Amino acid sequence: MEVLIVSTEKLPVPPVKGGAIQTYIHGTLPVLRKNHSITIIGRDDETLPDKEIKDGIKYIRVTGGLLETYQEGVVNFLKNNKFDLIHIFNRPRLVLPIREVAPRSRLVLSMHNDMFKREKIDPEEAQKAIDQLDKIITISNYIGKEITDLYPDAKPKIKTIYSGVDLDRFVPVYSDKGKKIRASMRREHKLESKKVILFAGRLSANKGADILLRAMELLVKRHPNVALVLMGGKGFSDNGMSDYIAYMKAIADRLTIPVITTGFVQPDQIQNWFIASDIFVCPSQWEEPLARVHYEAMAAGLPIVTTNRGGNSEVIEVGKNGLIVQNPEDPQEFANHLSKLLSNPALCKEMGQYGRRIAEKNHHWDRVINDISQVWSEIEHKIKNHLEIGNQSIVKVEDEYSSLSELVRYLLGEESTENEPSIPRIADKVSQVKKKPVRKKLPSKPWYSSEKAAIKANKISF
Amino acid sequence: MEQLIAPWDLDGSLGDLYVPPYIEEMAQQVINKYDFKVNNMEVITTKADKGGLIWKINTTKGPKSLKILHRRPTRSLFSIGAQEYLVNVKKARIPVIVKTKTGANTVEMGGKIWFVADWIEPLTPVSADLEGAKLLSHAIGEFNELSKGYVPPRGAETSSRLYRWPKAYKKISKKINWFKHVANLYSELPASKTILNSADMFDEQARKAWTMLEKSNYQSLVAKGNKEWGLVHQDYGWSNGQMGPGGMWIIDLDGVAYDLSIRDLRKLIGGSMDDLGRWDINWVVGMLDAYNEANPISDDLLEILLIDLSLPNLYYKNVKEILIDPVLSLNSEFDSVVQRIIEMDQTKWPVIEQVRKEWRGGKRKWKS
Repeated sequence: MEVLIVSTEKLPVPPVKGGAIQTYIHGTLPVLRKNHSITIIGRDDETLPDKEIKDGIKYIRVTGGLLETYQEGVVNFLKNNKFDLIHIFNRPRLVLPIREVAPRSRLVLSMHNDMFKREKIDPEEAQKAIDQLDKIITISNYIGKEITDLYPDAKPKIKTIYSGVDLDRFVPVYSDKGKKIRASMRREHKLESKKVILFAGRLSANKGADILLRAMELLVKRHPNVALVLMGGKGFSDNGMSDYIAYMKAIADRLTIPVITTGFVQPDQIQNWFIASDIFVCPSQWEEPLARVHYEAMAAGLPIVTTNRGGNSEVIEVGKNGLIVQNPEDPQEFANHLSKLLSNPALCKEMGQYGRRIAEKNHHWDRVINDISQVWSEIEHKIKNHLEIGNQSIVKVEDEYSSLSELVRYLLGEESTENEPSIPRIADKVSQVKKKPVRKKLPSKPWYSSEKAAIKANKISF
Repeated sequence: MEQLIAPWDLDGSLGDLYVPPYIEEMAQQVINKYDFKVNNMEVITTKADKGGLIWKINTTKGPKSLKILHRRPTRSLFSIGAQEYLVNVKKARIPVIVKTKTGANTVEMGGKIWFVADWIEPLTPVSADLEGAKLLSHAIGEFNELSKGYVPPRGAETSSRLYRWPKAYKKISKKINWFKHVANLYSELPASKTILNSADMFDEQARKAWTMLEKSNYQSLVAKGNKEWGLVHQDYGWSNGQMGPGGMWIIDLDGVAYDLSIRDLRKLIGGSMDDLGRWDINWVVGMLDAYNEANPISDDLLEILLIDLSLPNLYYKNVKEILIDPVLSLNSEFDSVVQRIIEMDQTKWPVIEQVRKEWRGGKRKWKS
């Protein structure tokens, strides 16, 4: 098929400036391009040409920054270029403008954040966008549920595809390669004798690093030998620092244990900090879609302590690969979980190994690519058979374990009770196959006024 | 690659008026895009930690201001659009933006928005008394009223605080708990005890204000939308509102955002009471009346104003400084600052209650 991938307006592809979505697209392309002709449209960047063909993939880069401006570039490009499938990332608000200029393309949307919330997209526009989509891929069940809670008829279109991690880069702490990296990192940062607790992410109240610091206050009495590493963000040294970072520094200055802030770590170096650590903690306070750091921690063979917010707990089997904090505002609960792990190195090791097995089984990029391929194949099938939008006929199931919970049940030796929409047999769909595709009539004037669009412009995340 | 303007004085050692040479060079390039010659230029103020700057330039076409806006360019275009709308469409007493030779409002250089506006002369601060406060209140009421209907230009991002009040209230409560925690960690310092003794009370005030906001008609008020509410200056006070040719002028619009219009009035009242050292019903009513004349305050909106006044704004604003450097700031001088805030706070509540009972739609039942 001729496939167009529409990235977001915030960061360029390839991910020269980082970005989870950009990393995801970049990670899946090399294989996907083998069976399809792929074009990627994304934002411009001073280090990248506006047009190029690289490794068989065509890149188009238009002005980014504001969604409105970016949308214009995407729409203009589509006026003169036709695609069988347009796969849009994380911007439901691009669906209708794209539909206007691509009336015959099949549209798929991948959702990495909660961008269907009422304050992000007008409900009427959201519903119309959903009507135009063949599939909505979400990075966690949580994101899918957030959509169906508001728009129940989106349900049959939604499919969770958990993200992946580079298993060769994120090696387990107990592997030979891991041991070497670990020894050198720990030497470099004078952590040889320490139990290292790792946080990875922005230093913002949402991510909860302050709660983790407060947990350290409680933890040091019983475990004076710990060290805390806060990886990412700006660190403590910047002048003009925010109140939040100042507050964290004020806490850290009074702790008797070392607190290391790494500042920004190059994306290709972050695995080293995972490998150097003993326990990974994700103290997120907000309803997080599902942070990819969980996969990275699992791949590195670390036990995980995470919170029950958003989709994070979906990849945790309590007591097997990690522990879940039920009250994320409560430092004591973190301290209790951490204390349990610190007092029991054998359990830590076991959990880390189990996590690595889950990552190897279910979170390698090939599995992600396979899932996307399957969605694309369904679309191809629909195109060939003139099936209308929203027809959920599935012709083949390539994955043995299409979701983590299924895998988990397999590992537990349970029968699959997966409550997913049943897969209709082709025979059931014959009547629909025979129908001519019904194209919904689109209004000639855009119904998404520029004013509404402008109101939402400052609420976009990436 | 183009050189980007970066904050240039991170430790504050270069002095308030220092400008890096590369920015001075950029200024010359920017000036060349205008249809005037500059005879001399003078640095008026810098935001060295953020990368913002204001010059006064004396040109062949009269005195002007040349500014570098420190915010994101798309954000800055929102305030520039507002300034143009207020001057051109609404004929507000706000400095006119001077166009470049090609007719543009702004120049983008070094990753920032630059622009030139008229330098209004003479501008004199209003008197530091109730009459001055009334002039300021009336002027900002006029500003809020005139800004209704503003729609940002293409390429500008929308800046709105209209829907964010509940979040902002929660944040105050959250941060007061940070203050408490820090005071606890640094309990040996002179001001810590006062913070510890007062934090719970002010946290309670913030929580109560949040509950009241939830119970109020806030949600139905904001449902009117950004455009209908118009803009709030967000940085208004005794220096950004001054008397000039033809009446009161409002300057420095860089931070404007859509919001409930009485936000500016709340800050103005709070600031004036801080200057006065106590809450005074005559001032509050005088300011309300003056504002109401220019931009009528509905009963629902009055209630929001009173809720906003009942937040521990003064405490929050002052005490948050301790986060930056607890050891340096929690000294005995700061202790007396906090003591004073606690004393002042006691004078606030009777005034709020009296206004709630007696001031409605500008028709004050209360008589002195």
